[in-house]
Amino acid sequence: MPALTFNNVSKTFGDNTVIKAFNADIHDGEFLVLLGPSGCGKSTLLRMIAGLSDITSGDLLFDGDVANDWEPKQRGVAFVFQTYALYPHMTVRENIAFPLVMDAFRKWYHLPVVNIIARHRLMKRQDIAERTLKMARQLELEPLLDRRPASLSGGQRQRVALARALVRNPSLYLLDEPLSNLDAKLRTQMRSEISALHHKVGKTFVYVTHDQVEAMTMASRIIIMDKGVVQQVDTPDNVYDNPANTFVARFIGSPPMNLIPASLRADGLRLSGEIAVDHAAPLPGRREATFGIRPEKLELKAEGEGRLPARVAVVERLGAETVVGCRLVTARGHAEELLIEHDLVFVRVSGNPKMQIGETCSLDYRAEDVLWFDIDNGQRLS
Amino acid sequence: MPFKKLTLKLLRYLLIGVLVVLAGFPVYWMATTALSLNSELYGSGQVIWPQVQNLPELWRELGQVPIGLWLFNTLLIAAGGTVLSLTLGSLAGYALSRFRFHGRGLVGFLLFMTQVVPEALILVPLYAMFITFGLLNSLTGLVLANVGFSLPVACFVLKGAMDAVPYEIEESAIIDNCPRFGVLTMIILPLIMPSIAAAAVVAFFAGWNEFLFASTFLMDRENWPASVGLASFVGQYETPMSAVMGAALVFSIPAIVFFLLIQRKIVAGLTAGAVKG
Repeated sequence: MPALTFNNVSKTFGDNTVIKAFNADIHDGEFLVLLGPSGCGKSTLLRMIAGLSDITSGDLLFDGDVANDWEPKQRGVAFVFQTYALYPHMTVRENIAFPLVMDAFRKWYHLPVVNIIARHRLMKRQDIAERTLKMARQLELEPLLDRRPASLSGGQRQRVALARALVRNPSLYLLDEPLSNLDAKLRTQMRSEISALHHKVGKTFVYVTHDQVEAMTMASRIIIMDKGVVQQVDTPDNVYDNPANTFVARFIGSPPMNLIPASLRADGLRLSGEIAVDHAAPLPGRREATFGIRPEKLELKAEGEGRLPARVAVVERLGAETVVGCRLVTARGHAEELLIEHDLVFVRVSGNPKMQIGETCSLDYRAEDVLWFDIDNGQRLS
Repeated sequence: MPFKKLTLKLLRYLLIGVLVVLAGFPVYWMATTALSLNSELYGSGQVIWPQVQNLPELWRELGQVPIGLWLFNTLLIAAGGTVLSLTLGSLAGYALSRFRFHGRGLVGFLLFMTQVVPEALILVPLYAMFITFGLLNSLTGLVLANVGFSLPVACFVLKGAMDAVPYEIEESAIIDNCPRFGVLTMIILPLIMPSIAAAAVVAFFAGWNEFLFASTFLMDRENWPASVGLASFVGQYETPMSAVMGAALVFSIPAIVFFLLIQRKIVAGLTAGAVKG
């Protein structure tokens, strides 16, 4: 199985740099997720691994060999496209068997008309027919083998695309947002199926998504990207608990991490410039920083009992838990204009706390749950 | 069935009937004329109904000319032009659709320009070229001359269809170890069958109806296509109208059969994409 290494890989389209000096290692057998908002360059990166897009500068190494100019065939990868890219004029059986048939093709089989005869003969070859059937059974596609893609549902098409990728037994699987066209229920089901498949085949998977839930539930490691730049490479737990910067802090988690500007004054620490808090941990060596805390680390308390006075603005009841959006109350009133990006501080509480919009309350936290970020560049402060 | 619905249905059928009569009457009149005697056509006047008893007379008149050979020549010219146009047109269309290269726009422009130049304008230079290359009085030369006009049309039609085929399908085939030529023949061409059928119709009928080049470049009566043969019926003092119409009827039958064979594909092409797939 190949280990992949990116050495300062960049990609530009005209004047537009999509990927800037990308450095990363992808280990054998891991499930690596490329996560980021739309347009961050993650699909371009996947296409560069597959050999479908050229690398502008830098090196891509397959097991230590520079593979920048390798043809897709040399790389031995399987690719599942976002749109599935099934061959509409072929049956499910023909779609799944196509990579095997192509592997068995000789040069002169590609002549028009000859290729039709050759394809039909190869489809009947025992090893190809057996492997196709085995893969169809594995993904529960056997009853659909003689149907064309147009008559299949989204989930079935997605399974056909997966079957076609898996049937060749490649060493590296590349998946480009394969679940984005499915409904929520099917997406959850397919998520588990792909994870199970990874465990079963034990090959390297590189999976592109903009959905953090997919990334958190499936990945062994996540590479978070923004505007063509890697923001953090780490395990899902570490990405959530120890985000490298405010972008990761806000991108991972729903609702995202609360980020509040904080400053150290002569009379103590102040949040949002107004709220004086009795904080045990002083700001690490600077006068201003961003105070970050996950919604589930905040405690919702009655008015006057917590360190941060607040007023309820949004209540989202999700059944087992409730997400309460609060505005911090300062001496001048609401401090929403001073909060970074969003004007609400979210608290996740279990059950239904029966809060009403407009109700005053207070928020509290443990000092060790607070993460500090540079107020200018957003980088995590150690 | 409510009265209003019934009336609308009747009106619809009436309109279709009128259109069928309008389209079919020339063919019917051609058959009636073919089965009339020349004495009737130039004397007492044509009978409206086909006179089947005159069939042996028509058969005798058509037997005097090599109409079978002419039809075969026409078929060679039309089929040869169609095959060549579709083969080269699909290769050129694929290159223009998928590859970015210097002069791509210029190639497209030059192909388009061939449709702007009237055939009659290039007749003389083409004649000189044919003499140089020894293509005069040969069916091969005529096929090449026709392809010069039908190839750009085929190329544009096929390029347009290939543009609509998603890149991902092609890339997927490349990942599956299919070489470029295989991608074209096994993936792209089957997906654009309706457009291939449309281009085939254009190329086939351009060759089938060709007259100007054929009457100029082909001297021997044995090499004539049916269009030139038909024109040869017209004499200075006499034109056997029934034989002309009879030959024209025979001439049109293979073309109609070809169109009927291919029309389902074209209709499928016209309706493709009308609904979300």
